[in-house]
Amino acid sequence: MPTKLQIHLARVFLKIFLRDRQSIFFSLFFPIIFMTVFAFVNSGQQNAINIGIVNNSSSDTSVEFVQLLIDDPLFSVTIGEEERLRGELVEGDQTMVLVLPDSFSAQSDGTELRLLVDAAQVRQLDLIMPVLQQTLISIEREFRNIEPMFVLAMEDVQARSQRYLDFLLPGLMAFTLMQLAIAGSGFNIVEFRRKGILKRLFVTPIQPRDFISAIVMARMAIVLIQLTVLIAFAVFMLDVRIIGNFASFYLMIILGTFIFLCLGFCLGSIAKTQQAVMAVGNIIIFPQIFLSGVFYPIESMPELIQPIARVLPLSFISTAMREIANNGASLMSIAPTLLGIAVWFVISFVLATRLFVWKEVAN
Amino acid sequence: MAIIEVENLTKKYPLPDNKSESFFAVDGISLSIEAGEIYGILGPNGAGKTTTLEMLEGLTDIDGGTATIDGIDVNNEPYKVKEIIGVQLQANEYFDSLSLLELLTLFGALYSREIDADDLLGKVNLLDKAKAKPANLSGGQKQRFSIACALVNNPKVLFLDEPTTGLDPQAKRNLWDLVIDLNNAGMTIVLTTHNMEEAETLCQRIAIMDHGKIIAEDTPQNLILQHAAEPPKAPLHGNIEDVFLTLTGHGLRD
Repeated sequence: MPTKLQIHLARVFLKIFLRDRQSIFFSLFFPIIFMTVFAFVNSGQQNAINIGIVNNSSSDTSVEFVQLLIDDPLFSVTIGEEERLRGELVEGDQTMVLVLPDSFSAQSDGTELRLLVDAAQVRQLDLIMPVLQQTLISIEREFRNIEPMFVLAMEDVQARSQRYLDFLLPGLMAFTLMQLAIAGSGFNIVEFRRKGILKRLFVTPIQPRDFISAIVMARMAIVLIQLTVLIAFAVFMLDVRIIGNFASFYLMIILGTFIFLCLGFCLGSIAKTQQAVMAVGNIIIFPQIFLSGVFYPIESMPELIQPIARVLPLSFISTAMREIANNGASLMSIAPTLLGIAVWFVISFVLATRLFVWKEVAN
Repeated sequence: MAIIEVENLTKKYPLPDNKSESFFAVDGISLSIEAGEIYGILGPNGAGKTTTLEMLEGLTDIDGGTATIDGIDVNNEPYKVKEIIGVQLQANEYFDSLSLLELLTLFGALYSREIDADDLLGKVNLLDKAKAKPANLSGGQKQRFSIACALVNNPKVLFLDEPTTGLDPQAKRNLWDLVIDLNNAGMTIVLTTHNMEEAETLCQRIAIMDHGKIIAEDTPQNLILQHAAEPPKAPLHGNIEDVFLTLTGHGLRD
């Protein structure tokens, strides 16, 4: 249980942190901007494929065929002369150009349709071709009145659609708490030392554990407040969904904050100057931004890096938060990840208590 | 009765340009400071004054010898010593966003004491600055505030490290008055200074340090009698500071 002195000190630190309006503003501002941008970027429908059509046939069938393509939301159709459409293809205004031969009719078999593409420009050609093939087959069936042998009925087992923002939120929250926690302990300690404040505190009867617990409590409160503001913004303004249990989600936030506060204390004990703390801090923070599955899944990284990426503290935290938020995972079902968090919890706590020698840190 | 007893106190540091060799920052000094006196430690930069104070305050490890304050061994029971000393350090910055009142209350809490912050601020003549932030204080006000912080536990011994360095003459005289008042109330005060006039005016006894050793220790009068060079044949009346103060007045400029 915190003592009266620890609570008093924690309230003083809370006051100090809350009066630092600038850093509070920026730590809220960037995640909010970030989420908002992604919310708008991804809110649009899948872009239709621009397809140009050159109709050299005068049959009714060809007109009907073109109409079916126009009606298909997958395609944005432009009809025109081959010459002009070729030009647009080269310019990149068209993704592909389909040329219907003059022999095009419902009766003919094996009519060759010419497809003009600029392979250099269309990197996703492999993705588009099956779509086009599929469309041609279904149009053909319609013309010939053939019932398809197989019908694929798709059933979404997740029973919900997931946007990138839903994926992003837990990772972004994990990343934000890491930043706030490391800055809150590590950077602050170096700043206090530079000003001689730690030295002044050292000559009073304050115990190092009182000082550390007070900072941990105050910083924890700040992180919880800030993340709650960000999560509320994401849920209410951007319609981000958190499926799992909020208590579990916040438990992960608390554990993560504790781990990074401890690592921050290690940092503040090793690095003696503001420049050093920035440099060493970036060594801890930067790889984790890219390797910890904050912005994209760890599975999408090169095989070689994955084993390293998976054991980073932020990976465990962001994975746990994402499993809970996106998949509604229970604590039991993410036990291996929790074990990873527990291991880091112990490592960071032991390291911090070893490295934070009050007399040396204060001087 | 001596309140501070120092016996053979030693501090070694590695040489800056040759880490394997070490030099004595404080080289076996012995002191006996009486309860209720103002004791001054003088010496050029690097003589070991601050290191000596920091060892007594528990900030720096003692490499050899012993030091006791009010009978408590500094090395063995640092937390007991911290309870009965007040410290003003050379650097006197505080948490920027807290007011003087909040800072004093914080310092009180560090000693687990409820304090009368107004009374303390009144003592150092800063009552009207209670709501101000430390960054908005002048040099003299900062030093007086540092002393207020050092007084929250009503210490038996007050350590002042170069308390008047960088102050204008008015602020300096004002601080001297404060030190004399505290001493009259019975507080033992140990200070370091580069200001000879300060040592002569305030201190009942003076130790002069050089190269980590105490090379002279006595009352100011005796030191002058024993060591001062012959005065010039036709001494000037007063000094430039007297001129300065006569011209600009004694009023505080903060």
